[in-house]
Amino acid sequence: MTRSKSIAFVLALPWLSTLVVFWLLPLVISFLMGFTDFRLLVKEFQWIGLANYRALLSDRDFLQALKNTFIFVFGTIPVTTVLSLGMALLVNRQFKGRGIFRATYFLPSITSMVVIALIFTNLYGRGGYVALLANLVGLTPPENGFLYDSSTALFSIMAMDVWMSVGYYMLIFLAGLKSIPDELYEAAQVQGAGTIRQFFSITLPLLKPVALFILVINSIKSFQVFVEIFVMTKGKFDTATAVYFIYETGLTTGFKFGYASAAAYVLFVIIGIFSALWFLLLRRRQALW
Amino acid sequence: MKTVGFLFSVVFLFSLEVFSATTIQWWQFWTDPSIKPTITEMVAEFEEANPDIEVKLTDLTWANGHEKIVIAFASGTGPDVVELGSDWIAQFAANGHLADITEYIVDDSAEFQGWGMATYQEKVYAKPWILGTRVLFANRDLLVRAGYDSIWVPITWNELKQAAFKVHRLGPDIYGWGSNTAEKHRLYKKYLPFFWSHGAKIFSDDGKYCLLTTEKAIEALRFYKELHDSCGYVADQRGIEDAFLDGKIGFIISGDWLLKRIELENRRINLASTLIPGLRYPGTSFLGGEFLAVNEASEHKEAAVKLINFITTPENQVRFCKANRSANPSSIKAQKDPYFSSNIHLQTFIKQIQSARHPPVNPDWVYIEDAIETAVEDALFGSGLVAEPLRQARIKVDKLKSR
Repeated sequence: MTRSKSIAFVLALPWLSTLVVFWLLPLVISFLMGFTDFRLLVKEFQWIGLANYRALLSDRDFLQALKNTFIFVFGTIPVTTVLSLGMALLVNRQFKGRGIFRATYFLPSITSMVVIALIFTNLYGRGGYVALLANLVGLTPPENGFLYDSSTALFSIMAMDVWMSVGYYMLIFLAGLKSIPDELYEAAQVQGAGTIRQFFSITLPLLKPVALFILVINSIKSFQVFVEIFVMTKGKFDTATAVYFIYETGLTTGFKFGYASAAAYVLFVIIGIFSALWFLLLRRRQALW
Repeated sequence: MKTVGFLFSVVFLFSLEVFSATTIQWWQFWTDPSIKPTITEMVAEFEEANPDIEVKLTDLTWANGHEKIVIAFASGTGPDVVELGSDWIAQFAANGHLADITEYIVDDSAEFQGWGMATYQEKVYAKPWILGTRVLFANRDLLVRAGYDSIWVPITWNELKQAAFKVHRLGPDIYGWGSNTAEKHRLYKKYLPFFWSHGAKIFSDDGKYCLLTTEKAIEALRFYKELHDSCGYVADQRGIEDAFLDGKIGFIISGDWLLKRIELENRRINLASTLIPGLRYPGTSFLGGEFLAVNEASEHKEAAVKLINFITTPENQVRFCKANRSANPSSIKAQKDPYFSSNIHLQTFIKQIQSARHPPVNPDWVYIEDAIETAVEDALFGSGLVAEPLRQARIKVDKLKSR
């Protein structure tokens, strides 16, 4: 190793050591733990092979949590992506007060999720603002509030999540829009392409890398949804998601670390598959749109 | 000369070891400004009375205290003395984390209530400190408006149901009954008083059979559901209490913390408190409490027990209850203090504890509790059925037993 490489290695050592101790090592340990019946309070544990994974397949609570997670992911990602793209297109135009709009849309993204969740818990509550709005438009809100009803609780949390994330993804789309050269639009205009044609033939194809980035990070984030559930419903009223299930199994009732680790790895694999899927879909030569 | 110096050093070091104070760690949950100074004072007095013992106090919160204790015990870094909720004792004791203190409590066992919750397989693992039960609170103004006498309170299920219905009919924003939403660790505590008051049991006397599907258990859930469906104001415990204190609810089941809220927040409510109604009077309420236990791995068990005995003396319990507005000291002598008899609501709690029951002392209680809670949740907020959710709960409990 040359002297400069040695110095670089030494300089990287503090970061590398934390990576190994606090990230890689727990990752390996929890993977191994998934094959044991390890419970935090019990001093002895056994290697039980795939028993945890088999049990998960027939665990109603886990399957319900996975179902809720998928509803959350497939319900929020398309809406968030389309809305954030639409808003990015709007605030990309030249108009007075554009900066204020951008900042306002982005504000929820930099606010603590706990704070937002607490505010929305009140908004969704009995006699809360959302119930009043529902009454105004002739809808009947759930009697005990939106979060205390299985038919509305998860969708209410999803709506809040979309509201919160849309500004952040708007900003990323906006950066993507800024990187598209104006010459392309000018050339298209000269050749008689209208706004819609320009959008589908120039804007959307050139935003593909940005869209991929957004889809991947939004998928990962949505599969890991936890804080909203923890603060707003504690997983009740059919809102328990996969990460909430892992938390409950591993860190509250019974402290079943082995079982919770297995569930975590199931989620890990699902997230991996989805991320790979997005890459494959968007790397195809034929345009997705 | 060198030998003299060496001997002197040995004697000096030895004396340091002998005369240095033993340090014990105590983890406890009372962080509220109204009670923390009392805890600190009691510790200071203990240290003064026992100069050879130093106490290091660590505060826990209810939000994550249980997790912290579990992790500390699992990693071998648990404190010498730890405050435990009654539901947790069996879990820790069964896994060998708590010291058997049976021999230390022989002398005063008759002086305290609550030993049943601290006893696992005939060994005592903790000392009862402050007990907790729930009573029925009523808004007297609403009862009078509904046509009842100004001193009337319900003592049977039917009376409670009729009164709740009448109150519910008083107006659009008035409810007869405060009904908990699907809140973990709370909902089952509201059902069990009706369950027990009706004579139902979770397990048979020999502990072999789960009895969650008996006719009495089903009827109790049906009754609770009727109150919930017909006149329930559904919210979390805090929300129910807020609405009750705002004069919107006729009846709620709550603990002594409600009295503290009324006093500290200077709330004006014409309050009535009475024992939990049953088919026969009085009904059975839920019993829990705070216990002090010694870590099995502690190297200072005697000092730890000394601290526990000091904190739980009748005098210190009265002092604690006065500061915290608690209603149920575990010490029988403390219960007779004029502080409790001078307040009609505190008296209700003292009486209720005589007919209160604690859940089975079982290391798997967290799962059993979860099964019961899921059944109640399903009956109230899910399928709406009563017998089937209890059957599902029994299946879960039977599975646990067959492990």
